[in-house]
Amino acid sequence: MTPLDVVVDAHGIGGQSDLPIPLSLAIAGAVAALVVSFTVLVVAWQAPRWSSGVGEDADAGPEDAAEAGRSSRPSYVVAAARVLGMVLFLYTAATAVFGEDQLTNPFFGIVYVWWWVGLVFASALLGPVWRAISPMRTINLGLARISRGDPDRGVVEYPEWLGYWPAAVGLYTFVWMELVSESAVELGTVRLWCALYVAAMLIGGAVFGSRFYERADPFEVYSSLVGRLAPWQVVDGRVRARNPLAGLATTPPLPGLVAVVAVLFGSTAFDSFGESAYWVRTVQGAEELTKFQLDNLALLGFCVGAGALFAVGCALMGGAGSVPRSSFPRLLAHSIVPIVAGYIVAHYLTLFVDTGIQTLARASDPFGKGWDILGTASLAPTYWFSYHPSVLATIKVAAVVIGHVAAAVAAHDRAIGLLPRRHQITGQLPLLVVMVGYTAGGLYLLFNA
Amino acid sequence: MSNARCLGPVRSGAAAIVVLAVVALAGCTTEDPEPTNGSGASDSPSDTAGSTSASPDATTAVEITFEGDQVTPSGERVEVAVGEPVELVVTADAPGELHVHSDPEQEIAYEEGTRSYLLQIDRPGVVEVESHDLGEVIVQLEAR
Repeated sequence: MTPLDVVVDAHGIGGQSDLPIPLSLAIAGAVAALVVSFTVLVVAWQAPRWSSGVGEDADAGPEDAAEAGRSSRPSYVVAAARVLGMVLFLYTAATAVFGEDQLTNPFFGIVYVWWWVGLVFASALLGPVWRAISPMRTINLGLARISRGDPDRGVVEYPEWLGYWPAAVGLYTFVWMELVSESAVELGTVRLWCALYVAAMLIGGAVFGSRFYERADPFEVYSSLVGRLAPWQVVDGRVRARNPLAGLATTPPLPGLVAVVAVLFGSTAFDSFGESAYWVRTVQGAEELTKFQLDNLALLGFCVGAGALFAVGCALMGGAGSVPRSSFPRLLAHSIVPIVAGYIVAHYLTLFVDTGIQTLARASDPFGKGWDILGTASLAPTYWFSYHPSVLATIKVAAVVIGHVAAAVAAHDRAIGLLPRRHQITGQLPLLVVMVGYTAGGLYLLFNA
Repeated sequence: MSNARCLGPVRSGAAAIVVLAVVALAGCTTEDPEPTNGSGASDSPSDTAGSTSASPDATTAVEITFEGDQVTPSGERVEVAVGEPVELVVTADAPGELHVHSDPEQEIAYEEGTRSYLLQIDRPGVVEVESHDLGEVIVQLEAR
C-alpha cells in the first residue's frame, strides 16, 4: 500500500469533493431567492429599524460597543480565550517548524480548515472570535505591559483613509496562496505566508496600536464581520440575545469594506468554479497560457467582478438624499456578508467537518513520529454528508437562500434610510438584481461543481 | 467481448482500504473497451464493496491514452456507480502513475502497452484521476 497522502501535490487539501447539487434544487433555490427578494421590497417595513451607518449611529458604532463589551466581560473568560489562542498559536508554530513537509502534517489542516473555515463557523455562532483569541493581540498586549505602554496606542494614529484595505489585500494573498499558488500544500509556502502575517501584525500593532488589528488583520476583519451575525452579544458583562441583522447593521462602513466582501465572495466562487469540469478542460486545453496564469486571471476576475457588480448596483440606485451617492457602496456592503456566510457554509461544510476531524487526528501526532498526545489519533471522518447527498444538497441550497434573504432584508433596511422617499422602492431594484445575480451564480456553481 | 478476463491478485495492501480497491488486471489486454459492453460482473472482484443499489452489469470503462506528453481524455466528467468497479483501460507509450484523489489517495502504476485496471469508489462524490507527471486531470469520476 502506498498511501498517497505522503505525496505533496498541487491538489490542495481534501481529496474527494462533493457531488453537484441537483438542477431542480438549484432552480428552486434561485426562484425562492427571487420571490422573497421582491416580497421583502414591497411588504417589509418602510422606516429603518437598525443602525443607519451614518451620522450619530455610526459614531455610537460597533467598535465602541465592542470595547465596552470587552472591558466588562468577566476577566477570566478574556484570559481563558487569550490562553487558548496562544496555545493554538504555539502548537501551530511548532508543527510549521518541526513538522514534516507532508499532507499528514496537521499544519495544513489547521491553517486551511480550522483557521480559514472554522473561524467563520465559530464567529457566526459566537461573535468576533479572532479578536478574543488573537495571539497577535496577546503578544502586543504582553509587549506593551513589559514596556509599560498602552497596547491601544501606537507611535502614530491609524490613518482613517486606509480603512479595511490592508485586510482586503491580506485576504487576497491568502486566497491566492490557497487557490492559485502551485505550492499551496508545500510547507515552505504556507509557513512563509504565516511568518509574513505574524511579522506584519506585530509591526503594525507596534506602530498603530491595537486599532491596527481591528482594521488590518485579515482574520480579525473577516471574523468580526461574520461575528456580527452571531445571535448574541455581551452588554454590560451579560450575554444578551440580539437580532443578527441588527448586529450586522453596526458594521463600520469604512473604506475597503467593499473590497473585503468582494474578495471573500469572489474567491469562494472561484474555488467552486476552479474545480468544475469546464474550467479543468479549459485550462488544460489552453495553448497560449498556463494553468497558473489562467488561475491568476480568473481569481482576480471573480473578485474584481464581484466588487464591480456591487458598485454598479449601488451606482444605479435612484437619486440620493442627504448622503452622497459615492458612499453608497460602503454603506451597503455589510448586506453582502450574509450571502458570503451562506455560500461559505454551502461550499465548505463537508471540508470543515471531515477534514476538520482528520486534522484533529493528525494533530495528535504533529511531527510524524507515531505519537498520540491528544488521544485523538484514531479519529476518522465518517463522511456522513457524502453518504446522504440529498440532505447535503438541501442544506447547501437552504444556506444560500437564507443568506440571500438576510442580505435582502439588511440592504432594504439600510436603503430606505439612504434613499429619498419617492425612490425608496424603485431605488433598491438595481442592488436587488445584483444580489439575485450573486445567489443564482452561486447556486449555478454548486450545480456545476 | 473479453468476458473471460484474467484477474490479477489484489495489489498488496490495497484490500485493506475500504474506500477504494484497486486491482490490476495483469497481462490482460482489452481490445474493445466500450462502456456499454462491460458485462464482467461475474468476474469482477466487487465482493469487497458495500454496494447496494446499482445494477451489477453497469461496469463503466474509461479509456485513457498517453502519447508523449499528451493524455486523453483531459478533464472529462464521467458518471460512475458507487460501489461498482470502474475499468480504466490505459494505453501508454511509457510507464507511469495515475493518482486517484479519493480519501485516502491512491496510485495506480501503469505499464507500457494497453492494460486494464479496476478501481472502485465506495463513497458518493467527485474523484479526480490525475497524472502528476503531466500535471493534468484526466477524468473526474462522479460517483453516485
